[in-house]
Amino acid sequence: MPHLDAAYNLARWLSRSPADADDIVQDAMLRAFRAFDGFRGGDIRPWLLAIVRNCWRNAGADVRRRAQIALPQDEDGGLVSADPDPEAVAMDTSRSRKLDEVIALLPNEFREVLVLREMEDMSYREIAEITGSPIGTVMSRLARARTMLREKWTARELA
Amino acid sequence: MNCPELLRTQAFLDGELTGDAAREAERHIAGCEDCRASSASVAEMSDVLRASTMRHRAPQALRDRIGALLDKETAPVERVPRRRRREFWTGALSGVGTAALAAALTMFVLLPPSAETLAQSVADAHTHALMSGKVIEVASSSHHTVKPWFAGKVEVSPPVADFAQEGFPLVGGRVDKVAGSRAAVVVYHHGRHEIDLFVWPDKGARLPGESTRYGYHAIFWKSGDLNFAAVCDMEGAELHKFVNLVRAESE
Repeated sequence: MPHLDAAYNLARWLSRSPADADDIVQDAMLRAFRAFDGFRGGDIRPWLLAIVRNCWRNAGADVRRRAQIALPQDEDGGLVSADPDPEAVAMDTSRSRKLDEVIALLPNEFREVLVLREMEDMSYREIAEITGSPIGTVMSRLARARTMLREKWTARELA
Repeated sequence: MNCPELLRTQAFLDGELTGDAAREAERHIAGCEDCRASSASVAEMSDVLRASTMRHRAPQALRDRIGALLDKETAPVERVPRRRRREFWTGALSGVGTAALAAALTMFVLLPPSAETLAQSVADAHTHALMSGKVIEVASSSHHTVKPWFAGKVEVSPPVADFAQEGFPLVGGRVDKVAGSRAAVVVYHHGRHEIDLFVWPDKGARLPGESTRYGYHAIFWKSGDLNFAAVCDMEGAELHKFVNLVRAESE
């Protein structure tokens, strides 16, 4: 199954819940499969991620409300590493946990551009496509997301 | 942090600028305190966000469940054609904010790159990496560590070998961009010189052969369905020696 990890990562960061991410990804993969005739060409990953994002939005205000207040400590075992060096993993993991909490505090529209850019390595044009926003909006949201992340991260570090 | 050029600086860091636009952004950053601070901050956050532990992987149970569901459907999902970028641009320039996109296009390089663009792009990526200190994302002299690290990050699986015996020790790797394509970069040392070996999928672009930009030499070649470029500030002869080692190893 192509790009399942990318789909899952986005769903997970958007929904902030392993159970919801499962449902969203399953829904998205089926839709992508059925809608494939409508695929207009280009790279398939942005197309699939746009479907994931739609499924997440369709999953309803209910899920989204929970998403914003959900805390990461009730989600276990979701972060998997391919890094073979256990020490590096331990260091990365504690840092990641902290960052995980900080990212959770970002409003959705900022969290999504950050995840798409930094984790899925999407270009501005691809992020614009996925989120249905103009490139200018993507650029300013990304800048804002990074500033917010930096501020919240610094606050945590000092606390 | 109120420099009016911050968005351009960000676009530069995100690999969205090439050629003149990139050079201009680079010059600006060098002289602007706001943009230098912002670059350092973005780079640091980016390193943490890109750590392998940050990315969630689909659980096996979900994978199995979706696999079973798709099996019930009729069409074969595995045979998804990877159509070319170029088709996308000729066929599908509709939809998402076309006006904004058109305005932004002046900043971005979208068509299949010319030899000139490739020469520039590889030199830009190399100097940018050296300047930002982000030359290595995975540091290791073992190809058993470096090679698997690229899986899932880039489309290609680059040949990775340690040439320490020959004076070119393997030191690590990173993901970078060459004229818009994601490229695996395998990093070697030779004395105090740093060699970047760029590897990206061959999409029919014409390669420059050899080029020199800002004092950096680059040698390009194709092998199988991969494009290669070795970039360094060393003399041509030494770089050729390195290229011969890589080619002997991968062909």
